[in-house]
Amino acid sequence: MRGLYIHIPFCAAKCLYCDFYSVPGKLDLREKYTEAVIREARAYSRQSFGTLYIGGGTPSLLGPQNLGELLAGLYDAFDLSGLKEATIEANPESVTGEFLYIAQDSGINRISLGVQSLNDDELSKAGRIHSAKKAIDALTLAQECGFANISADVIVGLPGQTWHSLEHTLRTLTGMQVSHLSVYCLSIEGGTAYAACPPADLPGEDEQVELFERARTYLQQRGFAHYEISNFALPGKECAHNLNYWRGGEYIGLGAAAASHVKGSRYKNAATLEGYIADPAGARIEQEWLKPEGKLAEEAMLRLRLLQEGVDTNNIAAEYGCEKVAGLIERLDGQVALKLLVKQGTRYLLHPSCVMTSNRVLAEVLA
Amino acid sequence: MKHIRNFCVIAHIDHGKSTLADRILEITGLVRKASVNQMLDSMDLERERGITIKAKSVRIPYKSKNGGEYVLNLIDTPGHVDFNYEVSRSLNACDGAVLLVDATQGVEAQTIANANLALDAGLKIIPVINKIDLPGAMVDDCSLQLYSMLGLRIEDILLVSAKDGTGVSELLEAIVDRIPPPWGSTDEPLKCLIFDSFYDAYRGVIPHIRVFSGCVKPGDKIMVKSTEKIFEVEEVGYFSLGLAQSPGLQAGDVGYIVALIRNAGEIHVGDTVVSADHPEVPAIPGFRMSQSMVYCGIYPIITSDYARLGAALEKFKLNDSSVVYEKENSAALGYGYRIGFLGILHMEIALERLRREYEQDIIATMPSVIYKVVCTNGDILMLDNPSKFPPVGQIDHIEEPIIRARIIVPSDYVGPCMELAEAKRSSLVGIEHPDDRRAILIYDLPLAEMITDFYDRLKSVSRGYASMDYELNGYRAGDLVKVDILVNNGVVDALSYISPRDSASIKGRALIYKLSRVIPRHLFKIPLQAAIGSQVIARADIFPMRKDVIAKCYGGDITRKRKLLEKQKEGKKKMKMVGFVEVPQEAFLSLMKIEE
Repeated sequence: MRGLYIHIPFCAAKCLYCDFYSVPGKLDLREKYTEAVIREARAYSRQSFGTLYIGGGTPSLLGPQNLGELLAGLYDAFDLSGLKEATIEANPESVTGEFLYIAQDSGINRISLGVQSLNDDELSKAGRIHSAKKAIDALTLAQECGFANISADVIVGLPGQTWHSLEHTLRTLTGMQVSHLSVYCLSIEGGTAYAACPPADLPGEDEQVELFERARTYLQQRGFAHYEISNFALPGKECAHNLNYWRGGEYIGLGAAAASHVKGSRYKNAATLEGYIADPAGARIEQEWLKPEGKLAEEAMLRLRLLQEGVDTNNIAAEYGCEKVAGLIERLDGQVALKLLVKQGTRYLLHPSCVMTSNRVLAEVLA
Repeated sequence: MKHIRNFCVIAHIDHGKSTLADRILEITGLVRKASVNQMLDSMDLERERGITIKAKSVRIPYKSKNGGEYVLNLIDTPGHVDFNYEVSRSLNACDGAVLLVDATQGVEAQTIANANLALDAGLKIIPVINKIDLPGAMVDDCSLQLYSMLGLRIEDILLVSAKDGTGVSELLEAIVDRIPPPWGSTDEPLKCLIFDSFYDAYRGVIPHIRVFSGCVKPGDKIMVKSTEKIFEVEEVGYFSLGLAQSPGLQAGDVGYIVALIRNAGEIHVGDTVVSADHPEVPAIPGFRMSQSMVYCGIYPIITSDYARLGAALEKFKLNDSSVVYEKENSAALGYGYRIGFLGILHMEIALERLRREYEQDIIATMPSVIYKVVCTNGDILMLDNPSKFPPVGQIDHIEEPIIRARIIVPSDYVGPCMELAEAKRSSLVGIEHPDDRRAILIYDLPLAEMITDFYDRLKSVSRGYASMDYELNGYRAGDLVKVDILVNNGVVDALSYISPRDSASIKGRALIYKLSRVIPRHLFKIPLQAAIGSQVIARADIFPMRKDVIAKCYGGDITRKRKLLEKQKEGKKKMKMVGFVEVPQEAFLSLMKIEE
C-alpha cells in the first residue's frame, strides 16, 4: 500500500543543527501553501493510501484551521478510507489543544513530538525554542486528547550532554507512555549553524556512540525493540509509514521539497516555498530511474536498516529475477565473511555491533 | 664557418631565459611578434612528438649591423644538480654563453655553478643583466656581484629588458662580436658530440649533435663510439621552428641526425659520433654512461593497470634514456616496477612526468640506494631494494654508497651548511676559498642521507644560495639495520628501509606516527609497528572507527544518501589494500620525506 507524505516547511526558527528544508517565518503564506498542496493533490489521480505522514518543518505551526482544510482537501482528492496510520509531527511550543482536537477529528491517530531533550541547557544550545517543561506539557496534552500512539524524537550527542541527562530524558519519556522513540546521533551537516560554528562542548565520536549504546540498552530493557538504525518501538508500535520507505515501497510526497517513489522512479519537488505556491504541480525536479541491478541494490541497502527484518534475497529474487540478484548475494556474502552482516538462511541482517558503522557495509552492498 | 656562433643561455630559474629566447626569435625575424603565442600553442603538439623548440635548440639566421650574415645556434641546457653531467656535455657543444641575471634578484647559486661549468669548458661568457625595466632593478649591485663572484668585467656587462626588447639588438651584436666562431676542419674525418636527443614515434631516437670536424649527409654510415654500433644516416638537418632538413651538416654546425635508431639505449648524451669509415677517430673525452644512483618501486594504484604502466614506462624510457627499470613484485602492493634514477630530483621529475604526461596513477615507494650486503657466508649482494635483504642472522655487515659533495656557499652561510652536513653522517674533506665571498665545502657523506632531504634543507639553510654537485666515491661499511613496518601484524615489504642503527627508532617513530595519521580508522583496531628483525622499536595503534552512519534516512533523501554511500565506495578505489587494511596513497607519499 502506498504512503502519502505532506511536507510543511514552516518553522518558527531554524534549529542550529537542522539541514532539512524549512523556512523560518513567512507564516502569512500558510493558507496559500495549504491550498497549493491541495492543488498538487488534485493533479494526481484519485488513489488510496495506507499511511499518511505530515512532516516538516513544523506542521503544528499550520494552526487548527489550515490543518482542517488541508486534511479535508486530501480526503476530497484521495481515497483515505483505508488509512491504518496517520501521523503528524508537532513541536512542543506550537501544539495546542485545539490543533490536536482537529487533527484527531480528521483521522490523525499518531503524534510525533520533537522533544529532542528534556534538559533545558541542551535545548537552548541546540537552538530549540521550547523548554523541557513545555515538551512535557505537550505530551500530557496529547495524551489527554486521547492519542495512544505517541512518538518522540531524541538527539544523542548534544553539546554538554551526559548519560545522566540523556537517561533523565529517556526515563521521563518512557514513563509517560511514549511508545516510539527516534533516537538520532547528532551529525554536523554542511551549511548548518553548527557546521559554521561548532559548539565547544560537543561530545566526541566515541562518547556519542557510548551514549547511544547505553540508550539502546536502556530502551531494550524497557521492552523497546531497536527496529531501525535510529528507531525504537514497543511491540506493534513501529512507524508503518517509515517502514514502507525502508522496504523500498511506493509513496507520494506533496509540498515543497517533498519526494516521491512511484513505479520505480524517484522524483522530488523543488525546495522553494514561493515557487511551489505559484505552480505546485510544476515544481517537480530531479527524476531518477535506476536500472534493475541498481534498484535492487538500493532496496537491499534500505532494508538492511531494518535491524530485525533485514533483507531476504528470496524476496528480492522474486521481485527482480534470480539472475539479477546473483551480484547482490555475492556482495552480501562478502560482508558476512567479514562478520559485518549476519546470515540466516536467505536473510541478511546488519551485525548488531556495526549499526553505528553501517555506512561501509551499506556502501559495499550498494555496488 | 666564420659566420656561425654556437651559444647557450645560462640563467637561474625565472631569470627570464624563455622571454629572452622569445625576443631573440622575434627581433631576428624568425618569428613574427603576433605569432609568438601561436608558436607557444603549437608546442604542446610538438612536445607529444618529443620536440620542444625553445627547450632544445634553434638555428637563427641573423644579419649583423656590420653587414655580415650569421647563423646563431641557440642551444638549451638542462639545469639541476642531478644533471650536472648532462649540463657539462651541452656546454661542450657551445663556444660561448650568455649569462643572464635578474636585476631584481642578483647572482644566485645555480648561476654560479653553471657559469663555473661554462668557464671550465672554456666558453666565452657575455654577462647580461635582465629585467632592467622593473622598479626594483639593482643594476649596480648585480654588476658588482658579477665582478666579484665570477670575475667578469663590469664594462662587458650588457643591460637588457627581455620583456620590452631593450638591449636585445646590442646583445645579438655582442654574440657576433665576442663569441668566437667554431673551429675544426671540414677536411678531417667526422667527429660529433651528442648533447641531447629526443624520440620520434616514426623515426626513432633523433640525436642532437654538434659537428666538430668533417661533415655528415644522408647515406653516410656513422658509428657511435661507446657502443661501436653503426647506423646509416637517413636525414640530417638543423633546428628551425621544427626540424628543417638540409643536404648536410659540417664542422661548426649544430643539428640533428635521423638514422633509424630504434633503441634509446643505443645512444647516449655525451657520446661521440664518427664516420664508420674512420672508426679510429678518438672519442671526445669525458663521456660516461649515466649511472642510476637512486631506486624506487612504482605500483599502479589499481592492480589491473599494471600492463598500462608497463607500456607507459617503455615510452617514457625512449624520451629519458637515463632511467632504468625492471619488473618487481611486492607482497603488499602487487606487481610493479623497480626504477633507477640519476638522483633524487631526477626521480621526482620523472615520477611527476609519469603521473601527468603519461597519466599513470601510481604509488612510489621510499627511495633507496644500492647497498652492498656482505653475508656471513662471504656472499656479496648488491641490493637496491630493502625488502630483498636476507634475514638479519645471515648479514655480516652492510656497506653503503658514499658521495663526495662539493657545496658552493656564500661565506655568510658556511656555518649553517656545515651544521647540516655534520648532522648527516658526513666527514669534511676540505674547505676551499675561491674568493672572500664564497667557500667550497667538500664532504664525503652517505648517498642515502643526500636523497632524503639534504638538498632541500641545504637550500633552506642557505636561503637558496648554496649549490652543490656530487659524485660517487666508493662504499663504506656502516652500522646499518633493516627496519620493517608492520601494519595489522603483517610486514609491508614496500615500506621496509635501511637506517643507521642509532637513528632507526627515531625514524621508525616518525614513520609510524605519520602512518597513524594518514591511514583512516577501520572497523577494527590496527596495530602499526616498526621492527628490526623481531625487536619492535616503535608502535602505535589506529583505534577502530566508532561512528559512520546515516542516522536519518527517510523518503526525501534516499537518493541523496545513496549517492553519499556511492561516493564513499568510490573513495575506496583510491586505496591500496594491504591485507585487510585500506591504505591511502598519501600514506606512501608522506613516507618519502621524513623530517627530523
